[in-house]
Amino acid sequence: MNSKKTTEPPKWADRILKAFCNEQVIETLQGDLYELYNFRRKLGSKLSADVGFVFDMLSVIRPFALKKFFISKNSSSMSMYKNYLKVSWRNLLRHRMYSTIKIGGLSIGIAVCILISLFVIDELGHDKDFPNVDQLYRLVNVWDQPGQVEKWESCQPMIADMMKSEFPEIENAGRLIPYSGWSFAGSNQVRRAGRLQNAYEEGFAYMDQELFEMLGFTMIYGNRSTALSEPNSMVISEAKAEKYFPGENPVGKMIILDEQEDRPWTIGGVMENPASNNHIEFDFLLTLTSEEFWKGEQTSFCCSNYATYFKVDKEADIHALEKKLAELYVSSYVPYLQERGDVEADDVGKYWAFLLQPIQDIYLRSERIHDSFQHSDIKKVWMFGSIAIFILLLACINFINLSTAKSANRAKEVGLRKVVGSFKSDLIKQFLTESTFISLVAVILGVLLAWIFVPFFNTISGKVLIMPFGTWWFFPSCLLLALIVGLIAGVYPSFYLSAFRPIEVLKGKLSLGTKTSRLRGGMVVFQFTCSVILIVGSMVVYRQMSFILNKDVGFSKEQVVLIEGANTLEKRLELFQDRLLKDPHVLNVTASSYLPITGSKRDLNTFWKEGKKKVDKGIGAQIWRVDDDYINTLGMELIAGRDFDKTSNRDSASLIINETFARELGLDSPIGARIVNWQSWTVIGVVKDFHFESMRGEIGGLGLASGRFGSVVPVKIKTEDMKATLASITAVWDEFMPNQPIRYSFMDEVFKNMYEDVLRTRNVFFVFAVLAIIVACLGLFALSSFMVEQRIKEISIRKVLGASASLIFTLLTSDFLKLIGISLILAIPASYFLMESWLEDFEYRTNLDWMIFCGAGCVIVVIALLTISFESLKAAFINPSVGLRSE
Amino acid sequence: MKIGSFEELVLLAVGSLGDEAYGVSVKELLKEKTGKNPSIGALHSALYRLEDKGFLESYEGGATTERGGRRKKYYQITSEGKEAIKEVNKLRIEFSKNIKGLNLGLDEF
Repeated sequence: MNSKKTTEPPKWADRILKAFCNEQVIETLQGDLYELYNFRRKLGSKLSADVGFVFDMLSVIRPFALKKFFISKNSSSMSMYKNYLKVSWRNLLRHRMYSTIKIGGLSIGIAVCILISLFVIDELGHDKDFPNVDQLYRLVNVWDQPGQVEKWESCQPMIADMMKSEFPEIENAGRLIPYSGWSFAGSNQVRRAGRLQNAYEEGFAYMDQELFEMLGFTMIYGNRSTALSEPNSMVISEAKAEKYFPGENPVGKMIILDEQEDRPWTIGGVMENPASNNHIEFDFLLTLTSEEFWKGEQTSFCCSNYATYFKVDKEADIHALEKKLAELYVSSYVPYLQERGDVEADDVGKYWAFLLQPIQDIYLRSERIHDSFQHSDIKKVWMFGSIAIFILLLACINFINLSTAKSANRAKEVGLRKVVGSFKSDLIKQFLTESTFISLVAVILGVLLAWIFVPFFNTISGKVLIMPFGTWWFFPSCLLLALIVGLIAGVYPSFYLSAFRPIEVLKGKLSLGTKTSRLRGGMVVFQFTCSVILIVGSMVVYRQMSFILNKDVGFSKEQVVLIEGANTLEKRLELFQDRLLKDPHVLNVTASSYLPITGSKRDLNTFWKEGKKKVDKGIGAQIWRVDDDYINTLGMELIAGRDFDKTSNRDSASLIINETFARELGLDSPIGARIVNWQSWTVIGVVKDFHFESMRGEIGGLGLASGRFGSVVPVKIKTEDMKATLASITAVWDEFMPNQPIRYSFMDEVFKNMYEDVLRTRNVFFVFAVLAIIVACLGLFALSSFMVEQRIKEISIRKVLGASASLIFTLLTSDFLKLIGISLILAIPASYFLMESWLEDFEYRTNLDWMIFCGAGCVIVVIALLTISFESLKAAFINPSVGLRSE
Repeated sequence: MKIGSFEELVLLAVGSLGDEAYGVSVKELLKEKTGKNPSIGALHSALYRLEDKGFLESYEGGATTERGGRRKKYYQITSEGKEAIKEVNKLRIEFSKNIKGLNLGLDEF
């Protein structure tokens, strides 16, 4: 046996062991540890044996094994630490106000820090729980033309299989259709076969059996490897299984969607409820097995409607694979385009690329990738994180400022300790112990505060966070936080205080803290700079928000009720609309699945001017099927041509386009122009541009085509009696659809929801700004009252000599106001640049005018002045005899 | 003298191992019998305590290459140790007898 090879535990751990253990035990302990190490080494890898060794080593660090040196030294220094804690405690009690401010400020900072950390952990934890998550990728199309880079997720139907069969690196491939409104994807009326009553459900998507297996959902019933393999099979979540099949095993049972009796869906399995931190969060998964949405759809390059996911070999070179994928794709797609005479064929060869996006990145790093999922933004996570750290810093600054300002009070103690033999290092230790003790108290309070405010934070951030008391890492990291904060806050004061010279101090020469020192001033400036930036930030976010909500969007969203799920009316839709129109409360009724609200149905097409299909490049534009009253009901403005003709059928190939589309087509006189996509259209009207997506992006091209079907019936109503109106609409609905409860929403509310993330950012900003100001003001208040305390004799003498109250007030406040002024000067340009870059994301945005900065400046000056004047006024009106009595 | 429940297990293990009781062998036996894996530190700590209390005595023994040339410390149960086990068992049996419907199954051994 090679003895050298068998005994190689990590040297550093061995050294620690030797450092701690006394001679009596070291021999046997080391022997046992080596023996265990070699035992593990034979069983498993070196790593696991090493880890085991380190744990064993740590486990023997116990009193019985320690060297005498540690035990005896510990006990003597222990009593010193006890003394330090006792003195700190007495100091806290003696200066209650300052202690409260120190600890209170710190605990606010810590509570904010904890809440934000939970938020950040939650954000970063998205899409991490899939099996072999490192090997899962989403295929993203990239159009990499200089100046016109586009990224989107949807691919043609055969791409998944094509790539899988061609490249051995791709272990598996699967497709997903998450697009709301695509056949059954999105939302449907649902009932169990054999029952009558429908219920409305959201969260439908189409998925391949392969993808279902790749994502490894936990099954409650059924087999994961066959759940979606049969045609017309579906997988539902546990919650939905409990709803429709309480207490039963639903596998093999049937479900009817949208009253389509001829096409029942068989349950192939029940999965665990989808985790809210997965981007794939659906309750109903419909199989894609032998699904063909129209004849020849599965083999045609015409249409891209499938999000495609790959499981890639661990060793695969992703960049090389991306290149190979694009080559193969181009070589099969370009001939298709050429055959059709598409002028883009050459460009596709030049500009097409693929990106394999790790599935873990989809939630946070999908900037500029068009897809239908909810995203957050890694930048936002960073922003929140840095705000949290800044607020914690502000609180630490309070601590530092107060400790150094009040150093005079501790100077005698320092002097005396030095005289009786304390080293500088001991004093540093003392003050660090003190600050760590205080920060520990603050951490405990901070955890409590955070715990109390979690529900509130959840409402403003739109998260479902809980305090992770049960996890192993929570309390250790709180302890670590206490240590770090204790060090940051304590390191400067401890060096500053421990450097006092005992002779001077005991003589009484030292009179520190009568003026704001440069460092302390700098820190106040820093605090208020941060506060001003946050105030300006929340004001700008607020303005942008109201700008969006009140901007003329080009259609009227007020007084519009949206009746949803009306597709089940089928042929009776027209009858239903007529009945509604007879209602005196109702002004206008239309029907369409396409609404000027993000998340409703969309249909992007490519158009050409007639006869130019083989000459010009195509122009992308939406085509929306709307009924003839659409423009009337939603109050859009027709600026040229005419609306659809209700009385005849002559408008079946007519199109009303928006201004943008007309401009992009380059039509001088759009009325009467003929354009083509897969059929030809005549333009009969031009509607004024209206915002049909969030105002982050520009208005795109749009064409409205006449067609009376759709799942939403928008009803324009009169203002007066909302309750009666809704009641009578409901009555009409119930008459038509007794088995389907009515669902309606108000258009202005749905519109507002589009900007929920902006609203949340606004609220979070506002809360942080308030907290930052509170923390900064706490510090300022303590500092100012301390200054007054120190100068009380000076003030009294000035008063005796005839100074007026106002003069004294000015004297006391001017120092601080100067600091506030400096922070304004610093903060305004900084906040200007920060907010400019935030606003850049919006295509339609408010302006940054001087009013905002003025307002923020006034707010901060007023708040600061109020804070300072509380103590200053008290001093200004003091009876001089009180201040001078003790001398 | 008092004896903790983990100490009791260690004592029993040392006793039943006879001449072969040292750190690693005791640990392995405990792992096999109880299904729990005590840390080597906790085990040694208990061994030292038991030695202090006089329930165990120790002597040093042979070194092997696996141990990097370090000697083993063998433990043996003393008569006080045996007495302590007896006492603990007596107490348990007395209590258990009073539980109605509980068959201790001592005949099996």
